[in-house]
Amino acid sequence: MTTTSIPMNAPPQTRHGSESETSPEEVLALARTLRWEIGGDFHQTLMETIYTDAARIADRAVTRPGEKPRFDLDRTIDGLVTSRRWGIPIMILMFTAVFWITITGANIPSQMLSNLLIGTIYPALQQAAAAIGMPWWLSGFLIDGMYLATAWVVSVMLPPMAIFFPLFTLLEDFGYLPRVAFNLDNIYKKSGAHGKQSLSMMMGFGCNAAGIVSTRIIDSPRERLIAILTNNFALCNGRWPTQILLATIFIGALAPVYMAGLISALAVVGIAMLGIVISFLVSGMLSRSLLKGEVSTFSLELPPFRPPRVLQTIYTSFIDRTLYVLWRAVVFAAPAGAVIWLVSNITINGTSAAQYIINVLDPIGLLFGLNGVILLAYVVAIPANEIVIPTILMLTVMTLGATNLGAGAGVMFETESNAATKAILTAGGWTVLTAISVMLFSLLHNPCSTTIYTIYKETGSKKWATVSTLLPLAMGFAVTFVVAQVWRLVFGAG
Amino acid sequence: MPDPLIALIVAGLLAGITALLFWPERGLVIRWRRSRQMNERVLAEDALKQIHKSEMRGQVATLDGVAGALQISRDHTAELLARAEENGLVSNEAGVLHLTPEGRNAALHIIRAHRLWERYLADQTGFGEAQWHGQAEILEHSLPPEEVDALAAKLGYPTHDPHGDPIPDASGQYVAHGGQPLTAIALDQPAQIVHIEDEPETIYAQLVALGLYPGMTVRLVEASSKRVRFWANGDEHVLAPILATNISVVPLPETATVVVESDSETLADLKLGERGKVSAISPRCRGAERRRFMDLGILPGTVISAEMVSAGGDPTAYRIREALIALRSEQASMIQITRRLEPAA
Amino acid sequence: MNTVNEKTQNGATAPVFDEALIKSLEEDSDGQTFTINIEPPPAMPDGCSSCAVHNAANLRSLGVDMTEWDYVVALAGNPNVGKSTVFNALTGLRQHTGNWPGKTVSRAEGGFEYGESRYKLVDLPGTYSLLATSMDEEIARDFILFGQPDVTIVVVDATRLERNLNLVLQVLEITDRVVVCLNLMDEARRHGLKVDERRLALDLGVPVIPTEARHKRGMNELIQAVDEVATGKYQPKPHRIQSTPPALKNAVNQLVTQLEKIVPGLPNARWVALRLLDGDQSIADALNEGRLGALANSNTSHPAGDLMAVQL
Repeated sequence: MTTTSIPMNAPPQTRHGSESETSPEEVLALARTLRWEIGGDFHQTLMETIYTDAARIADRAVTRPGEKPRFDLDRTIDGLVTSRRWGIPIMILMFTAVFWITITGANIPSQMLSNLLIGTIYPALQQAAAAIGMPWWLSGFLIDGMYLATAWVVSVMLPPMAIFFPLFTLLEDFGYLPRVAFNLDNIYKKSGAHGKQSLSMMMGFGCNAAGIVSTRIIDSPRERLIAILTNNFALCNGRWPTQILLATIFIGALAPVYMAGLISALAVVGIAMLGIVISFLVSGMLSRSLLKGEVSTFSLELPPFRPPRVLQTIYTSFIDRTLYVLWRAVVFAAPAGAVIWLVSNITINGTSAAQYIINVLDPIGLLFGLNGVILLAYVVAIPANEIVIPTILMLTVMTLGATNLGAGAGVMFETESNAATKAILTAGGWTVLTAISVMLFSLLHNPCSTTIYTIYKETGSKKWATVSTLLPLAMGFAVTFVVAQVWRLVFGAG
Repeated sequence: MPDPLIALIVAGLLAGITALLFWPERGLVIRWRRSRQMNERVLAEDALKQIHKSEMRGQVATLDGVAGALQISRDHTAELLARAEENGLVSNEAGVLHLTPEGRNAALHIIRAHRLWERYLADQTGFGEAQWHGQAEILEHSLPPEEVDALAAKLGYPTHDPHGDPIPDASGQYVAHGGQPLTAIALDQPAQIVHIEDEPETIYAQLVALGLYPGMTVRLVEASSKRVRFWANGDEHVLAPILATNISVVPLPETATVVVESDSETLADLKLGERGKVSAISPRCRGAERRRFMDLGILPGTVISAEMVSAGGDPTAYRIREALIALRSEQASMIQITRRLEPAA
Repeated sequence: MNTVNEKTQNGATAPVFDEALIKSLEEDSDGQTFTINIEPPPAMPDGCSSCAVHNAANLRSLGVDMTEWDYVVALAGNPNVGKSTVFNALTGLRQHTGNWPGKTVSRAEGGFEYGESRYKLVDLPGTYSLLATSMDEEIARDFILFGQPDVTIVVVDATRLERNLNLVLQVLEITDRVVVCLNLMDEARRHGLKVDERRLALDLGVPVIPTEARHKRGMNELIQAVDEVATGKYQPKPHRIQSTPPALKNAVNQLVTQLEKIVPGLPNARWVALRLLDGDQSIADALNEGRLGALANSNTSHPAGDLMAVQL
């Protein structure tokens, strides 16, 4: 054997030894030599050393109660919320309550905000602009474009978020959410994910950007990336209205009147469930392919229950989450409104730019059961999903050339009644297939720009931001394509 | 509008072709790239490594041996070796191949890159042990010396790869593990596994599947030409001698306690309300997960009690140094415990 | 509740402990020898007792501007010990805190005034350890090591003292200027735990202030203790890790001797030696680039020589 070996004992160095200068390299070399001597388990030895000291000091300082308190409330609550029989029902009950309070509680303030921002301020701004003699293109760009889109997003987005996030935060402060992750971990483990992903998904039902920020509670790199990349499959607040509207006017209408409400509700829940199923599938796929090499660890600490401080929680969660998300949405929505107004009002040879684009996109859209208007609406609505339906209505009216409908080129609107909306859409060529395709595409398409930006900020990686953008988009096109073709195969061209 | 049936067929074909081309690990693009990497330089480096391995084992390196190991023809091997001889890397004395000092240096550089990369995969990525060797076999040829040094620095100059093989330092020096085959130690002699040979892969996979890892303490209880029986971390194993020789051990002092049957429990065996004292964290658990365990205070001597099971049946929450920590069953099974709790000092 | 403060309030520069208490500690029933250093504090290198010691240049590169401030205080702690609540209580800011390990959204900075001095408070990521195995740990570690904050507050959970002390002991290896904030005392009470903060302060050699940050209790005492450590009115005599196995001790001693030659007066040579033995590349880089040398030159209130001599 010809291997040379390093000297096992470095020459003894004493404090008052040689006067010769020592260089950093020599110290590092000595450190490396010593590492062969002390063995590979150094880290463990060091930790044991520290913990030995910590245990001794703690033992001296802490006096534990001689006997356990007879009624330990924490244990009782824990026993209940994690029990096999009651754990899951309690969880379902809690979250149903949270969503119910959010949906019903948001309706009234949403309507009030809409009345104020769109019903009162918007005409007032238009009058003011006319009074000071603002040119039509400037007032259109600023008021019909930027202001209206922003007002739309605020009135749709703010109330549910201002209710949902504080409620969620209260559960979090109480210490209940870690128990949910604990209960659901077994399901998530099967797809290579972390139980805490259930919570970032639930936050995602409120807003995907907030859901992605909340993945910070997942401390394992691989599982956190999975949670970030699949959060978009949680149907967010901006997309629920689209689902509900289309389910009501197209799917519910297929059923007898007394069943219509139930059927359309089931359709919406079905889409949300599909999102959850897809998030499991994609999680499993990612953990076995793209993310195979990422580090994976699991630990979940169950903190003690703490009585939440209600007022402070509402205040801080409003500041931190609601306003944060809203601000980003506004920053992105205003330019989107401007773009929508511009493409509808810039005309070439008497035809608007929007019309040109729609004509190009139409045949592509048809392949997927969609149409050019929908595709264009989704392109301009990248900043905020809330404006998809108003944009579709506006563009449809524009392509129809119906001057008696809508509010003018580039001006988003919603109709007073579902019947009027259905009339406009049917005139625009919509069928049940179109409605189903839009519902699917609304679930499966690129996240909004706020979310993409958040993913970029959270992962610090353009690669993951791109993957999270293109992956759902590709899935959306694949799913709508197959559904559309099979539909036509079965029901004939529709 | 295209006919839906045709559209579906065309799309299906397109998807099929894309998958065929870009499928990870088995797609045509990946295969083509891989075949390009198998060039002459790679083969020459593998030949040096093979000769070094023979020398280390005290075996005679021959042209046939190298050709067999590299799975290339004799003529091709002869060509490779002739070039290596010209470059002063190999000397050929009456059919016996030897490495020159330069050749040994070159071989050690490749081995260093290989073992460092395995260490990296084991400690800082989520790849399983089955994938370490294969990846390292490819990367050892493409990492330039500066990057190998940077990798060593990033890993904190590790001394051993995850199989227990020493990693040569930048000047090619290292301390051999000094182990002997498991079959060579005396019966009932406590010993520690220092190395598990990772080639051939089929045997390595079997040993890994048995849960054997460097760092485990073992005790041989039977060694015959038919079978080798031994205790390792509380489990009895029976191996064919051919497998057992791939495990290297160093004897431990007689006083060392080898975990035997009665103690062979892990945290996963605790029932609710029961307590156990950590005796060791399995060597199978390494990298980020091992450090996390330690940060949470899971160390030899820590007393842990099982407190509650999730409604989903799996993670179990344990009381660890006052905190309630949920661990999955496969994690809990990596923490070996004993139920003998000495009375508190 | 605030024994440590009462002692120091009386104008003494170092806590003066009861003879009887010390005796009772020395005759501790667990039979372990335990000695307390009751010598007067070592002389200042240059006699400046109230000067700030933070490394302004390093702090700037860490993104903390010190132009408006006299002292910088780092806030460290395990995840989910109410660190952000302490931060809010001290600064009056409203950072969201949740009942989750690792909730802090981003690094927060704030400030408070006490007496004549303006204190900048920097919230570090919540970590279990400082052994730089994750990005968060490295951020916290680098701030304490290179920023040399005038005081580091380590927030600990009174109900999980043992695990939290793991971090405290690591911080004490890097810096002497530590105040331990024994938070969640209300929760400890609820669980029937009694935590003797005087004993803890004696054992750790730094002020230990019991607090209930959620109810803003103990904050004044905490600020006062921070002030006393920052201005040098209180001289900490921190606990050093003791249960080191002999082989390790020998290796550490060899390295410390060498380190002292290239970086005379390095305040935490022993800790640097431990990190080098653990193969911590960022510390090796700092040594190579001379960044450790810059730490030794700043005005530390403790001559470095005695650190390893005492315990090893």
